[in-house]
Amino acid sequence: MPDSVATRPGGFDLRRAVGMAPVAIFVAMLIYIGFNAPNFLTWSTIQLVLSQSVPVVVVCLGLSVVVMAGGDDVVSGGIDLSVPATAILCAGIIAQQVTLAEQPLFLAAMLAFGAALIVGALNGFLVTRIGMTPLLTSLAMFVAVVGVNNVITASRRIDIDAPLILFLRDDRIVGLPAGVAIALVLCVVFVFAIHHTKWGLNLQAVGGSREAAEVSGLRPSHFLFWSFVIAAFAGFLASFFVLARGSGSSPGTEDNLLLEMVLATFLGASFSPRRVVTVWGAVLGAVLVAALSIGFKSMGVNVFWTGLIKGSLILIVVALGAASQRMR
Amino acid sequence: MWGIVKAVAVGTLVSTAFVATAQADGHLSLEGKRIGVAVVGTQHFWDREAFTGAIETVEKLGGEVVQVDGGRDNQVHADNHDVLLANEVDAVISILGDAAVEPKFEALKNAGIPVFTVDHPSPHAINNTTSDNYYMGTTIGRYMADAIGGSGKVAVFNAFEGALRICGIRTGLWKYVLSDYPEIEILQPELAEEFANAPEDARKQTLDLLSQYPEGTIDAIHVGCWDQPAIGVVQALEEAGRTDVVVTALDGGPDTLEIMAEEGSPFVANVAQQPRLIGSTSAMNVARHFAGETLLPQTYVDVVPVNGAEEAKAAYQNLGYGTLE
Repeated sequence: MPDSVATRPGGFDLRRAVGMAPVAIFVAMLIYIGFNAPNFLTWSTIQLVLSQSVPVVVVCLGLSVVVMAGGDDVVSGGIDLSVPATAILCAGIIAQQVTLAEQPLFLAAMLAFGAALIVGALNGFLVTRIGMTPLLTSLAMFVAVVGVNNVITASRRIDIDAPLILFLRDDRIVGLPAGVAIALVLCVVFVFAIHHTKWGLNLQAVGGSREAAEVSGLRPSHFLFWSFVIAAFAGFLASFFVLARGSGSSPGTEDNLLLEMVLATFLGASFSPRRVVTVWGAVLGAVLVAALSIGFKSMGVNVFWTGLIKGSLILIVVALGAASQRMR
Repeated sequence: MWGIVKAVAVGTLVSTAFVATAQADGHLSLEGKRIGVAVVGTQHFWDREAFTGAIETVEKLGGEVVQVDGGRDNQVHADNHDVLLANEVDAVISILGDAAVEPKFEALKNAGIPVFTVDHPSPHAINNTTSDNYYMGTTIGRYMADAIGGSGKVAVFNAFEGALRICGIRTGLWKYVLSDYPEIEILQPELAEEFANAPEDARKQTLDLLSQYPEGTIDAIHVGCWDQPAIGVVQALEEAGRTDVVVTALDGGPDTLEIMAEEGSPFVANVAQQPRLIGSTSAMNVARHFAGETLLPQTYVDVVPVNGAEEAKAAYQNLGYGTLE
């Protein structure tokens, strides 16, 4: 849409207003919660929001890399729905090996790492070599990987009390909960790798326009393949936070993780000026979704209404993002 | 007939006992207190009833409720306790949940917030209110053994025996009873049902099981700790046209009592709980604690054994769910 239409006389920029609306709505919502929920705007609640969003943040890192490499068209572009399942599988393997098979954590983690690499490489192979769509491939992979985890854990809860997991759960690093501090470092590493290295910029170029990238001599399939491997690696990393959060592996935690990952990543895109998925956007999205959930709970909102309110709010935000995109 | 008389008698006894307790507890109040109520999920009748019972009673006693729902995800349920801690509530009632909640209970206790549990015994809780799980386990063991004439092959859905203490008691005592029936064999490996989406998951697993064990090679399917999976088990039996297998389970909400009351239902035995009374009793216990009374570590709420269709109809009525023809 030409600027002359979007910009009204008197300097009011409709496109800009619509574009800013998602952020404004979230800020308004959080302020409203802050006034209505005791203790919401305190350092302890902020730490809680950060702590509870950590597993989602880490799987979001993985998904955002795949979306950036494959393009952000949900159907034909890059998407990896299997990351939460990989996280749950790795958590299951580690808990099973450490608690039931009494293996050292390092060995268990290596096994989980191997499993994650297999999932990532399989995804990459099916998408880049066989030509399957990422949406279908990774959804089928999600189901299969959860199935493997059910076999490994016999669909049962397994406790874990390995020192590293308890450290992530209970300890602090420079004033922050340990899990939050380490996740923050992971975010910085991912942002640096994707937004500040030549390889990362090439990966984004491939996702932006496959044809243009090919003309400049880049091989899109190479980047897409490795993005799936990186996503699975993020799943592996997330498994430690999943284990810390639940003091073990509980069956059935993958569904909520999947929902929040997709929500956070694409909600994050609504916050970026160009409406594209970015690593920081996804991280911000994950933190905001957690803040909203905790805010509603703190306000004592009737639990039967929470899902509807949260879902509607997110729909509005994403719709405004899309509307602002169409006005360009 | 004796079964109906017994069920009515138990029902009357329970309601009389509750009325008597309620009258004696007239002095109790939660005025000015903020009570956190955390439930693992609200999709199933049992969870929803216990949750509603707790909330209603807290409000009736003048308290304010901060409610959180885990959406049937044990990790989210555990996380929700951190929200209640940050909210500085005066006490927490926690309904169900696996071991993921233990460190959260400990943190609440360390912050001086007393924890009251429902169906989850914990060293960090002041009191756990629950059904008489021991009676449930042995009764369903006897009923099932009788239903298959004391011999035969039994498949069991048993995902939670090791994860939840209440399930350990129920399934453990069911097995204890069966150990006196040398002719009854529990098929291995045991089945593990999903926590969320249990009926559909159990339906699929039962269809697989039935194709593995043709007519005459399996006599019963038992669900060790609850009865939502039994809904799917019954569906699968009907789909496969199998009438040679009986189903037993535990919980006895209106949905499963209705299935039991149908003519020729394969679902032959259950032990019904009173989840709303359990939630309500837990809230009363919070008020008793604040009134300076000493609570026993466990409060048991009576259960109603249900053997056959007629007793299912009687239990349905006595538990206040309506009438079944």
